[in-house]
Amino acid sequence: MDLNFTDAELAFRTEVREWVRANLPADIAHKVRHAQRLHKDDLQRWAKILGAKGWHGWAWPKQFGGPGWNAVQRHLFEEECALACAPRIVPFGPVMVAPVIMAFGTPEQQQRFLPGIMSGEVWWSQGYSEPGSGSDLASLKCRAERKGDKYIVNGQKTWTTLGQYGDWIFCLVRTSSEGKPQTGISFLLIDMKSPGVSVKPIIMLDGEHEVNEVWFDNVEVPAENLIGEENKGWTYAKHLLSHERTNIADVNRAKRELERLKRIAKAEGLMDDQRFRDQIALCEVDVVALEMMVLRVLSGERTGKQPLDVAGLLKIRGSELQQRYTELMMLAGGPLALPHVHEAMEAGWQGDQWLGGAWMGGADYAIPVTGSYLNVRKTTIYGGSNEVQRNIVAQTVLG
Amino acid sequence: MDFDFTEDQQALRDAVRRFVDKDYGFERRTRIERAGGFDRSAWDGLAGLGLTALAVPEAHGGLGFGAVEAMVVMEELGRGLVLEPVAQAALIAPAVLGHASDELQSAWLPRIAGGEALVVLAHQEAKSRYRLNRVTTRAVDGKLTGVKSLVPVGDLADAFIVPARVAGADDAADGIALYLVERSAAGVHTRAYSLHDGSRAAEVHFDGTPGQLIAGPDQGLGLLELAADIGIAAQAAEAVGVMEKYLALTVEYMNTRKQFGVAISTFQALRHRIADVKMQLELARSMSYFATLRLADTPAVRRRAVSQAKVQLGNAMRFVGQQCTQLHGGIGVTDEYAGSHYFKRLTVMEMQWGDTMHHLGEVSARMQDTAGVFA
Repeated sequence: MDLNFTDAELAFRTEVREWVRANLPADIAHKVRHAQRLHKDDLQRWAKILGAKGWHGWAWPKQFGGPGWNAVQRHLFEEECALACAPRIVPFGPVMVAPVIMAFGTPEQQQRFLPGIMSGEVWWSQGYSEPGSGSDLASLKCRAERKGDKYIVNGQKTWTTLGQYGDWIFCLVRTSSEGKPQTGISFLLIDMKSPGVSVKPIIMLDGEHEVNEVWFDNVEVPAENLIGEENKGWTYAKHLLSHERTNIADVNRAKRELERLKRIAKAEGLMDDQRFRDQIALCEVDVVALEMMVLRVLSGERTGKQPLDVAGLLKIRGSELQQRYTELMMLAGGPLALPHVHEAMEAGWQGDQWLGGAWMGGADYAIPVTGSYLNVRKTTIYGGSNEVQRNIVAQTVLG
Repeated sequence: MDFDFTEDQQALRDAVRRFVDKDYGFERRTRIERAGGFDRSAWDGLAGLGLTALAVPEAHGGLGFGAVEAMVVMEELGRGLVLEPVAQAALIAPAVLGHASDELQSAWLPRIAGGEALVVLAHQEAKSRYRLNRVTTRAVDGKLTGVKSLVPVGDLADAFIVPARVAGADDAADGIALYLVERSAAGVHTRAYSLHDGSRAAEVHFDGTPGQLIAGPDQGLGLLELAADIGIAAQAAEAVGVMEKYLALTVEYMNTRKQFGVAISTFQALRHRIADVKMQLELARSMSYFATLRLADTPAVRRRAVSQAKVQLGNAMRFVGQQCTQLHGGIGVTDEYAGSHYFKRLTVMEMQWGDTMHHLGEVSARMQDTAGVFA
């Protein structure tokens, strides 16, 4: 047993750190550091910079143009990006659909789709959830009917994150109503510029446009866009979920955000308030414990001796922790956290000119905190609600 | 970074588990508890297994194993609720005595390794709560006077490691020296009692009792802190074993016990509770690893890590203990059922070496701008 990274791992970390610091645009890092609003250009600029280096698909094997890193290297890369205040890589292309295309796509599909994902040129969206399906994903109804060499798609997807920017969407669609719900689902890639596709914004409780409804009205999809076999899509989707392991806990971001929490608390004089300080200390213990759990899993992945069936535990703990530190940031902001000024979330906002003075005595840090608190209510709901995760964990313990 | 156990460590674990299963079953443990919480033949059995030699250097007849082996052993002892003070006598005493003169080391370490000498730390005082620096026992010209409480097997131990003040006010950081005091020395009086978990402890009075210096007043507190941190790391591992076994008992019960015509393990409210228990267990195990793997670090890094671990462990012990007891219903609060003894052990452990609030205060005081395992 050894807690420390090897010299080779540390050298790798240094290489990644230097590259990220040298190539991450300062304006983007500034926005992330101060939780300002990120736009498509911010996200895609960083994606393309990573793509040019061959790191946008950072978890990809070499055979598909990825760096071929092991679990520890991937973790170190994610950590360096998070600590440098890089925006989170939008996962739908490189993390979610790409592994499915690699595992189940034809060579033609791989050559057609993977380069655009790696380069960051093509924006992918995820078409899983439907208005009626919630955590019971297999109950989905969006239909695809085979007509000759095409599928005709009708129905609706929802909660499509950043779908307003999407070029392509990978969808689970119903191709059969025979048998169990899971057995009639297919995995289809759909060009979002096809006639009949429409995207409607859903404004969330923080006032932001992050998710969408995506409607399909007699959309024609070439049959060659089917991944694998018809009615086997559920299997492919489960494969995809197995690729979401340690980064589901988002512990690297938690470490960065805890630093922000301390900065806010310090500015508000709360680091000298024992009651508040102790709450941060407790959060810090939670971060260390979660990180240790992540490291245990990484170590297991490298050696193939996985001691722990953890995906559910990491999802539950990571999301709860994210909600907790965000809540503490809001509480640290205090009354200054209450104003909701939509334009103040923009970088370079000149709120200080309103009354000829600084915003609330210079408390810019308080502007985004309540919005973040509201926004992250989603984390215990999405990706299989935490209650569903508890069912899964209980299953492994109780049978 | 590597969290796998070596084959030797796995073999050590298996050996201790076999001993616990075969020679320290719940019935025998109950007999030992009723007889006062310490059994000489059980101790000899543990020594025969090599556990008393674990941390003693090979030069003094020990095995010279490290903190990870200690962790493995403590997890297994926890599963069996072993009452004998292995962490105290086999981990803390050799670590402290390793800083003593060659003469003291040669006199005591081989006997500790062989299980013939039982040496324990006698540091708790009635008014010091969890502050290691508050020491009112005084040493004048190598003669100690004062009272120590809650000394593990204090009436049976062969010798004590005793912090005593040679200078300064009662709570001064400087001026604490560590002495080795034999129980047979002049002016030692003991009065034994049981703790709520069935383990044995004693009040130990020193009245002008001669002691041999282990560490002088410039090193005493630092060494005492190291002893406490070894104790916390060992206890964290033990707690993981206790919680793991209590969870296993609870799972077995839930899958057997029927209410309203079905096994109670089918009720979702209870299933979610088990998921939360499993969460706390795995967080605790992660922090047990963390504490153990940080023991060899600099004092500042070590102390912070150990306090962070004790906060997580304390919260986990309380949650797992209370929930597993609740999930058993009435049988869980009876003396005859093993589960209640796991609960009592967890309850006692949270309040040894500093409770959760105490260590949260330590973490809070030591917070830096950055956070995380490598902060």
